[in-house]
Amino acid sequence: MIRKLQIKNFVVVIGVSLSLMLLSFSGYAQNGTVTGTVTDAASGLPLPGVTVKVLNGPGTTISTDANGNYSIKAGPTSKLVFAFVGYTTQEVQVGNRNKVDVKLTEENKTLNELVVIGYGTAKRKDLTGSISSVSAATIAKVPVTTLDQALQGRAAGVQITNNDASPGGNVSVMIRGVGSLATNGNNPLYVVDGYPIESGGINSINPNDIASIDILKDASATAIYGIRAANGVVIITTKKGKKDGVQLSADGYTAFQTRPKEYKVLNGQQFATLALQQATADSAKQFTVLSNWNNPSSVTEADWQNAVYRPGLTQSYNVGLRGGNDKLQAATSIGYYNQKGIVLGSYFKRVTLNLNLDYQPVSWLKSSTSAKYAYQDSNNPFGTGSLGQLAQLPPTLDGGNKVTSQISDGNGNYGFFNPLYTYIAKYNNPVYNIENNRYSNINQFFLTNSSLEATIISGLKIKTNAGVTVTGANGYYSSPEDDRLVNQYGNQAGSTQNPFFSQYLNTSFDWLWENTISYDKTFGKHTINFVGGVSEQKLTSNGFSGSMRPANGTVQDLSHPYIDPTTGISTLILNSTGQEIGTLASQFARLGYNYDSRYYITGTIRRDGSSKFNASHQYGVFPSGSAMWKAKDEFFLKDVDWLTDLKFRGSYGEVGNQGAIPYFQYNALYSTGLPPGNSGNLGYPFGKTGGSNGIYQGGVAAIQPAYPGLKWETDYQTDVAMDAAFLHGDLTLTVEWFNRKSKDFLLNIAVPAQTGFATETQNLGSMSNKGWEFTVNYNHSVNRDFRFGAGLTLSFIQNKLISLTKGTNFITNTGGVGLAGNGWSTFTETNIGQPVGEFYGYKSLGIFTDAQLNAANTAAQAKGFPFYQQAATAPGDRYYADTNGDGHITADDQTSLGSPQPKFFGGLNLDASYKSWDFNVFFYGVYGNKILNYEESNLETFQNRGFVGIENISQEYYAKAWTSSNPSNEFARIYYNDNSIGNAYPSSHWIENGSFLKLKTLTVGYTLPADLIKKLAVSKIRIYVSTQNLFTITSYKGMDPEIGVQGSNATQTGVDNGTYPSSKYYTIGFNVTF
Amino acid sequence: MRMINIKDMKMNKKNITLIALFSALLIPIGGCQKNFLSQNSTKSATADASFQKSQDVVALVNSIYDGYQSSDLLKKSIWYYANFLTHDWYNDGADIAWNSYTINSNFGALSVFWNNAYVAIARANQAFGIIATAKTNGVVTPALADRLTGEAYFLRGMSYYYLAGTFGGVPLELNAVTDGLTPRSSQDQVFQQVVSDMEQAEKLLVSKTALPSTEIGRATKGAAYGYEGAAQMWLGKYTEALAAFNNTELTNNYHLLPNFVDVNEFDHQNSDESLFEIQFSIQGSQSWDGGWQSGGEIAWIDDFSWPWEISGFGYDYANPGLSYSYQAGDTRKLATIVGPGDQLVSPGIIAKWGGIKGYAVVQSGFAAGNQKYIGDDGNIINTCGALSHPWFGDDLTRSGYYCAKKWRDPNLTGANGTSTIFGSQNQILLRYAEILLDRAECKVRTGDIPGAMADLKTVRDRAWGGSSPVDGTGKPLVQDGLTYDGKPTQPITDPLQMVLSEYRHELTAEYSLMYNLRRAGPGVAAAFIHTNYNTNSSLLPQPYPYGPTADGKLHGVWFTSLPAGHDILPIPQNAIGLNPNLKQNPGY
Repeated sequence: MIRKLQIKNFVVVIGVSLSLMLLSFSGYAQNGTVTGTVTDAASGLPLPGVTVKVLNGPGTTISTDANGNYSIKAGPTSKLVFAFVGYTTQEVQVGNRNKVDVKLTEENKTLNELVVIGYGTAKRKDLTGSISSVSAATIAKVPVTTLDQALQGRAAGVQITNNDASPGGNVSVMIRGVGSLATNGNNPLYVVDGYPIESGGINSINPNDIASIDILKDASATAIYGIRAANGVVIITTKKGKKDGVQLSADGYTAFQTRPKEYKVLNGQQFATLALQQATADSAKQFTVLSNWNNPSSVTEADWQNAVYRPGLTQSYNVGLRGGNDKLQAATSIGYYNQKGIVLGSYFKRVTLNLNLDYQPVSWLKSSTSAKYAYQDSNNPFGTGSLGQLAQLPPTLDGGNKVTSQISDGNGNYGFFNPLYTYIAKYNNPVYNIENNRYSNINQFFLTNSSLEATIISGLKIKTNAGVTVTGANGYYSSPEDDRLVNQYGNQAGSTQNPFFSQYLNTSFDWLWENTISYDKTFGKHTINFVGGVSEQKLTSNGFSGSMRPANGTVQDLSHPYIDPTTGISTLILNSTGQEIGTLASQFARLGYNYDSRYYITGTIRRDGSSKFNASHQYGVFPSGSAMWKAKDEFFLKDVDWLTDLKFRGSYGEVGNQGAIPYFQYNALYSTGLPPGNSGNLGYPFGKTGGSNGIYQGGVAAIQPAYPGLKWETDYQTDVAMDAAFLHGDLTLTVEWFNRKSKDFLLNIAVPAQTGFATETQNLGSMSNKGWEFTVNYNHSVNRDFRFGAGLTLSFIQNKLISLTKGTNFITNTGGVGLAGNGWSTFTETNIGQPVGEFYGYKSLGIFTDAQLNAANTAAQAKGFPFYQQAATAPGDRYYADTNGDGHITADDQTSLGSPQPKFFGGLNLDASYKSWDFNVFFYGVYGNKILNYEESNLETFQNRGFVGIENISQEYYAKAWTSSNPSNEFARIYYNDNSIGNAYPSSHWIENGSFLKLKTLTVGYTLPADLIKKLAVSKIRIYVSTQNLFTITSYKGMDPEIGVQGSNATQTGVDNGTYPSSKYYTIGFNVTF
Repeated sequence: MRMINIKDMKMNKKNITLIALFSALLIPIGGCQKNFLSQNSTKSATADASFQKSQDVVALVNSIYDGYQSSDLLKKSIWYYANFLTHDWYNDGADIAWNSYTINSNFGALSVFWNNAYVAIARANQAFGIIATAKTNGVVTPALADRLTGEAYFLRGMSYYYLAGTFGGVPLELNAVTDGLTPRSSQDQVFQQVVSDMEQAEKLLVSKTALPSTEIGRATKGAAYGYEGAAQMWLGKYTEALAAFNNTELTNNYHLLPNFVDVNEFDHQNSDESLFEIQFSIQGSQSWDGGWQSGGEIAWIDDFSWPWEISGFGYDYANPGLSYSYQAGDTRKLATIVGPGDQLVSPGIIAKWGGIKGYAVVQSGFAAGNQKYIGDDGNIINTCGALSHPWFGDDLTRSGYYCAKKWRDPNLTGANGTSTIFGSQNQILLRYAEILLDRAECKVRTGDIPGAMADLKTVRDRAWGGSSPVDGTGKPLVQDGLTYDGKPTQPITDPLQMVLSEYRHELTAEYSLMYNLRRAGPGVAAAFIHTNYNTNSSLLPQPYPYGPTADGKLHGVWFTSLPAGHDILPIPQNAIGLNPNLKQNPGY
């Protein structure tokens, strides 16, 4: 009551005072009327709607008319204030004049925009750290599935790669290079509306709901996130309601996706011809053909790529209602996204709901609540790693299924390969699998976060923030019983394939509670800002998954497994069924000070305690400091007209990384292993006599060694930068140099078997990333109708492994991706002093001629080796270099074959608008990297990799392969048993230049004229057409040179193992605002 | 509690309340941090939590045995070494490099062997301390603690035995914690360690007679003496070896089975002759979806060596010359190798199938008129291929001769029939006949020729089903049947060569032969193989010169000489990659 009175009193007092002042001024300045025109300083065009206000005069406020003219009563001592949104406000003393023309300069929006930093916001011009920001407008330009795709090429130092083009996206985000070799070890921390996401994918956030993305890059900016900040922090702020009015918007698009490019491989007739040739040429008569192939022209074609690839279709719709008043602002939205992928059976569907609510009942107290829900249903039954098979499968099914030799006859019959002919017996029909197996993968994500903030005294605020994230992932896979082979070929073709069913349910619950206190105050020329706080976060994850042979193909219930009637043994196997808890407790503070808005310093510190480490190594302290000098505001630059802004900044700090390792890696842990009958069991049967079966006794063994000293990885980062703006802010330039040294990086690495363990999580070594980042933006309005702009980001990052703490000088490829084929277990090696993930293999010197082979063998025999390369090597085989000079080829001759790390990468964005039309073109490119074209190695081997069999080859190889009459120095001879000669070993022959420039997006939009849409009670309608991936300039032979990190591990970058291909999109969409 | 309208709150009052509230919020965060951060794994347990009951400690030792349930370790490493290197046997398929002695250090199974053996060693090293603690705490009885400790010593020693036999000197890891960067010791140092571990095991293990029937399959005193003796032989300490072989734990508790054919029979597992075998049992699927590859109890891969015509595999096959080399009357021949015109002699297979003719694939093939399954007499075939059309496999790359020692499990059908591929037959690593032959070699080495001949005769008499041929002086008349190319032979009179010949005919296709040949001294193995097969410098298969399979075409028989240095295998490249202190064997 008392407060209410105070406010009321205050209003009354102010009101009375103003009235009095008004009275007095009107008496004073009654004699003058001032007129004039307000124009845009750059274009000279009149500005309508500019607010003109008289200070220390009568106090009237008017607006300029359509021609920028105004007329206002004012006296000679009056001061006129001209204010217009987006322009710098100007004050003019009237003096003796009765006509005052004013040129307003457009405000440099970039410098004043608010940037979200950890636990607060700052104006861009006041930033001391390195932060790149991407606005909603930029994100809206490209129809993307996930927000990380929208960042590609938009922020310097941030490397975004679409690892493949599968629906739902498989994107790697790398900020300032590779700091870790661990799988998922380079992921940045995502903070959504103040909530650091510990669980759940970032692709649960609808890009359409995003207001801004701020990417914290240097240690000064990231240190406030401590142990999770080494890979940078991506802060996502979703759209909020505005205080004035209500806005209803609807956006939608439909994108048509073309079929992808296909590998040009042999057709059935050519394939059969080749097989016949091989069989005829095989003097040892070890290779035979299927009888159907004796007449190649009669074989039925099986075009696998044609059968599995299809045009794609994407639909996306978003409806948002945002608005509010002074006390309450709300934003709600509903999003729907549905993509049918270009590979049979692949799709991604997502429904998102979003609510942001800001409530400020009284001036000193406000609350902010955000709630987000996402439901995703996706499937990708035949994706990256499998798709290469389409080009390799024998292109005919003749001689297999006696019902149909088609891939699918449309009546539920699917062709299969002849099960009795060894060389193709093991291949499956992928179309049969995709169409007959059942899949489900559902992901749910719920994030809600509420804060309450109170202003105690001016500038001093306390805030408590609490939130939860709940995720759920569930799904199943089921394949039916398959007795087709047995039915047609009897027992000789093997047994009936049993039905199979597996199911999983993974849930997580994560809560966060943070309390902060902040103080911002300016005393004369001194400004300080402080924030400090404490935080706790706890993530509980539960997993449940199992598989079994069900009694029949219909049963999908793990409690009803098939049980062997004779032994009574169940077929149910449960995996990863249990709970894990991780906790994080932290304290943090940031203190900033600036003098006269010219000299800035900021210090940040965070102390994080993490349950991932042993009690004696639980806490890490992460400090950083930075300074900034606004040179432009110095007296000697203040009046330099062409220079709109100039500042220099630098920072140094330490941040941590603990992300990639599982819990409890510091402990020696013992396990009883899997049940008997599984490879992972630890027990053994005893008590067996004669023909009896014995009794299984369980086993217990250590599954990981103790490593009590395990600690987080620390990154030491230095950053020096210059920000400048020219041409009244039309042109901005940021040049930044950074030096990031990642020490003690964590890796679950293969250790010598002599330890008794296959792998151990260690603090392994140190890595360096140094680089330059350039950002140039130019925006210019030529006149009211025509504006254009260009933005360029360029990043140069030099990555290097500096040291390994023990043992070896290198690390081979680790993580999930396996490449089939003799000698392919190692295909990259990261050496000290060299970049991460360099390709590793033999150096190809071309193809052996008869003379070369004889000379090489003779020289080898002189040194006591039976042969130079392989026993069976013949003319036409690949000639490998004896790099260690010992006289013959061994595994030791493998060497580094090039780096997948680009020398630089960047994006070029061109924007223009003319009257109602808008245009956007976006290019993305990388330069100087190599790609391992493993897929090509498959298309240049007639033998199947990994087992006895033959596979399809490329048209090019067929045409150009070495023969005695048509020798080649590039393509080896075709041979059905390549394993014995090793032409397809990892070698420099498969390494290609990976540079490319891709036109990612081209968009043309049209906004309907205002007078037309007024009749529709709509404030804006824009329709647009867009195309993605229209062309790529590259010398790369494979499908798509945009190949990033495979298996989320940096040691497997740039490996083309048959990735989900990208193709052109044609999109038509609309944006409506009511 | 009174509802407070915040709009009614005074500034001061508000401040106090908020600050108090804020302080209260901070308290839980500061107060319980210690507990908050100490989480424990609920998916697996620490040592303290794991070994609180007697059977947990037993389970710890069981896991050491488990390392040996691996096809890559047993078959593709030890068995390949023991047999492919002698050229009595060949591979068909992905591992044909063995046939020309061009195995390289990337051969995947060698890594599995190396890794599993060292994991077993590490588990043993870790077990010593845990068992001792459990004994102190009364979790296990002293007697059980001793037995388990003995088993750990035995398994560690046995692991080093096969590692050193295969690779030469290997790193000696003897502590519970190691960084795994230990360099190689010499071969002698490793065998010395085997001796020392086996001596410990001899003291601690129970005698075969004292082992409860439910625990059959565990290491015994006798097995420890057997390996100790063999290790002493590697060290050239024949007197010490003889002492081990003559220990009553061996001589009283183990016996030759009356019929040689029974030694490898499915229903004679853990027989009176067997010192140590790796145990298998059916625990789940017997097809590809079972845990057959590594670590599964359930499966052994014997039918991989059956003819393609029966199993759909035929991944290994014999040198026809091995069949010809058996002396007339030696019952070991058909119990070891079968070829065109030979019937299976396995009592178990005959009982279940009536011989080859009983397999479903033979019956349906015969019914369909498939020439492969029609005998030379026009009836359904009951031999391992017919003389007129041997079983060379689908691509004609096999020799036509196959392993009869590994064709014993009546439950298996290969990839045909019911597709019962993986069985449960134990793999015998050491049996009493080998002890007798080893002892004979020791006696030769120590000058006791009559004693050596007596031991040879004991083994040979069983092979002949009573009494084996002797010369005029009563010494065993050791003479191959025919040479590899069908020529007549001369009796072998050199006592050492007589022992080597018996090793071959008794132990080929098991887990010993090449080890025993290499143990006999530098160059001995290469000379022995050259004598048997007239090997040369060729690196590709050659047509066979003699017999029903000599049709002038290639059927997968190599005549490559054993190159110097290749009587041991290369250290796996993976192991060298992870431990740069390992140096590769010369010649690789």
